[in-house]
Amino acid sequence: MTFWLALAGMVGVTFGSRYAGLALRTEPPAFWVRFLHFVPIAVFAALVTPSLGGDLGEGEIRVVGAIVTCVVAWRTRSLGISIAAGMLAFWLLRIPF
Amino acid sequence: MGAPRRTGFWSGFLAIAPLWLGVVPFGIVYAVIARDAGLSPVETQALSLFVFAGSAQFSAAGLFATGASAVGIVLTTFLLNVRHVLYGLSLGRRIPLPGWRRPAAAYFLTDEVFGVVAAQPSPTFPFLLGAELSLFLVWNVATLGGALLGAAIPDPTELGLDFVFPIAFLALLVPLVRTRVELAVAVASGTLAYAVAQLTASGGVPIVVTGVVGSLVGAWLTRGQAVEKPRLEDAIREVA
Repeated sequence: MTFWLALAGMVGVTFGSRYAGLALRTEPPAFWVRFLHFVPIAVFAALVTPSLGGDLGEGEIRVVGAIVTCVVAWRTRSLGISIAAGMLAFWLLRIPF
Repeated sequence: MGAPRRTGFWSGFLAIAPLWLGVVPFGIVYAVIARDAGLSPVETQALSLFVFAGSAQFSAAGLFATGASAVGIVLTTFLLNVRHVLYGLSLGRRIPLPGWRRPAAAYFLTDEVFGVVAAQPSPTFPFLLGAELSLFLVWNVATLGGALLGAAIPDPTELGLDFVFPIAFLALLVPLVRTRVELAVAVASGTLAYAVAQLTASGGVPIVVTGVVGSLVGAWLTRGQAVEKPRLEDAIREVA
């Protein structure tokens, strides 16, 4: 019973958060238009750096993998190729010598 | 990324495909953890079908295992998922969503979908829905697989597959950075998020704090500049 109660609440707060932003349809003032322009940039950066440390003490390898991804993304603009290059660099560096 | 005609459902569906490599093992592991925490296969699957939020599902499974209250689990979920308000604000301005399209777009919205769609020069509702259903399908199939297979699965973190997620967002970020201010905001946001993540345990807090602070800094640094030129899709939306 606790499970289904918790599930209902989880659905409520999750769908509520997802719907609230989409439902605000008023045209915001210029400052907030520029604010929204920077949201993807700030959020994507925030989704990258906290995961670069890793829990296995391999922070340097992850940073190198991230740099490889950056360069390949800059040159190719392709998500698939960038991920493949970053993972390849990461896995190759993980091989113990 | 970004040829003008690539705006249909299947383009969106396939735009997410590079992320399946990361999503599948984590869907499987989520299910294994949820089963270990004492949830039935039906309950494990119900979370993937109705909540559909990876980080919240992982933390909920952990909290159920410790016998946490429903209120505690719901509050943790809210803290982890409130960042979606920002995604909705950003996407809602760029894609017209009349009628049933808005709740449908909201129900399946995730970090990954926001990433791929926000990076698209002229996103459409079919593209958004294709990307959303792609991730929903793969996450739920992986959950089912994990719930049935049980514990006979290697840890994806051990294999380094969790690294797919940060580099995917990095690959989406790079093409968005075109001006000096955008570069400054990206670097400052990355630094701030790293610092906040060291102080808080929850994965949602650094994203919300950085999303708000980084965007405020960007809006302030570009004060006095003209609002970005109205794009073609905005003109089309005004006509439609």
